[in-house]
Amino acid sequence: MRPPIITVEGLWKSYPGEARLGIKEFLLKRRPRSDGRYTRTWALQDISFSVQRGQSFGIVGHNGTGKSTLLSLLLGTILPDKGVVKVSGAVASLLELGAGFHPELTGRENLFLHGSILGMTLQQTRRAFNEIVAFSELGGAIDRPIRTYSAGMVARLGFSIVIHAPADVLLIDEVLDVGDMRFQEKCKAYLLDYVRRDGTLVIVSHDMETVASMCDRGMCLNLGTLTYQGPIDKVIEHYRTLMTADSELTANAVQ
Amino acid sequence: MKVRQNLELLYLLVLKDLKIRYKNSALGYLWALANPFAFAFVYWVAFKWIMRVEMENYSIFLITGLFPWLWLSNGVIQATRSYQNNATLVKKVKLWRPILPLSSVVQEMAHFLCTLPVIVAFLLITVQPMHLSWTWQVPLMILVQLLFTYSLASLLALANVFVHDVEYLVGIGFSLLFFATPMVYPLSMVPENYRIWFQMSPLHALVNSWREIMLHGRLDFSSAAYVMLSATLVGLISYRFYRKSSHRIGELL
Repeated sequence: MRPPIITVEGLWKSYPGEARLGIKEFLLKRRPRSDGRYTRTWALQDISFSVQRGQSFGIVGHNGTGKSTLLSLLLGTILPDKGVVKVSGAVASLLELGAGFHPELTGRENLFLHGSILGMTLQQTRRAFNEIVAFSELGGAIDRPIRTYSAGMVARLGFSIVIHAPADVLLIDEVLDVGDMRFQEKCKAYLLDYVRRDGTLVIVSHDMETVASMCDRGMCLNLGTLTYQGPIDKVIEHYRTLMTADSELTANAVQ
Repeated sequence: MKVRQNLELLYLLVLKDLKIRYKNSALGYLWALANPFAFAFVYWVAFKWIMRVEMENYSIFLITGLFPWLWLSNGVIQATRSYQNNATLVKKVKLWRPILPLSSVVQEMAHFLCTLPVIVAFLLITVQPMHLSWTWQVPLMILVQLLFTYSLASLLALANVFVHDVEYLVGIGFSLLFFATPMVYPLSMVPENYRIWFQMSPLHALVNSWREIMLHGRLDFSSAAYVMLSATLVGLISYRFYRKSSHRIGELL
């Protein structure tokens, strides 16, 4: 068997408390302890999993259980406190499509800038340009400023650029609501094809249908701990029982 | 490969900022000159015409110091906020982060380059000699100032991620330093026993180097070397700070 493309072992990640250390705290040499505002809280505790090349891995769980933190760790924009995160290959993310776009610039100008931000050389972007525009279905609108675009058009352009950047792993955070239904289907089809061509997907979503149709394996996070991992239908089943248990708890609390 | 890719990114980032600034303005590039000119004019009125500073070629003296100063202060002030302004890029994309403050500094350098012909025009108007030695002195001095500005900018940008107050301190700091540096008055007007303190400032050395080059075609070696030394020192501090704490940028923004 090939070594996995993503290996995560004994991963722990904490965040600083909500209060920042400003110049006041610095000058007064105050390191407050008691009220917990300055203590670090654990976002992820002891997570281990691995993903093979050509697999599609789904991550489910409630809001604020560390799913996005985990994606950031895979991307490498933050580092773990403890443990190992190893990704052997180039990672690209579909986190917040088009977040780096500037409204005053045209689609074309944003395309070149964003391609470069994602690690493409100008030559690569030039070569992929026609394909990117064709996939985004923007046509002549590519030379209009982004501020004239609809939200769907922006997302379409963002998606098209990311998938044309060379990447062995694609991270996807709730962004499959790209444009209308038809375009969404096109994106899904593209991603499934990407997996068939030995690409690797990591998908975070609340939409169980998407997860079920796109992933083959996955895991469920709850309050920063890994509660289940395995085949995707079992993961979803587990998540459903977790949800029911939680809503019963809330119902009891209300009574 | 990585270096080339980052150079391309730097070029695109600077181009983006310049385009955004001037895209919808009728005068475009002329605005790049309007700002330094307005400053120069205000100081000229205040100090030459009203306060009557006794000095030959005061306008030349003023702009040869003021234009490099604006590159330094605007570049550093903008760069200090660069991580915050690009928070989504920092958090959502894996990129070589020092490129963000660097692009602020290079963008202001582009504005400075726009003002260089104006300095030359002023020299021509006031019948000052041109110097062939500029061909190597000016590029060299640009490089020295680029290094100095960037080391300072990268240090303050990183510090601002940890303590937000830095950006306010930087703004106030440059306003104070402007008058604590012989910018609108010559060093010779400073009382003799205080002069040494003014001379110790690397900012004075920087401005002084530019004036020596533009007015006399002479590279003041000790001044330029002093700026270089300060740049290296600040750069080293900045580098060590970055190595030690850059991994926290992503979670603090």
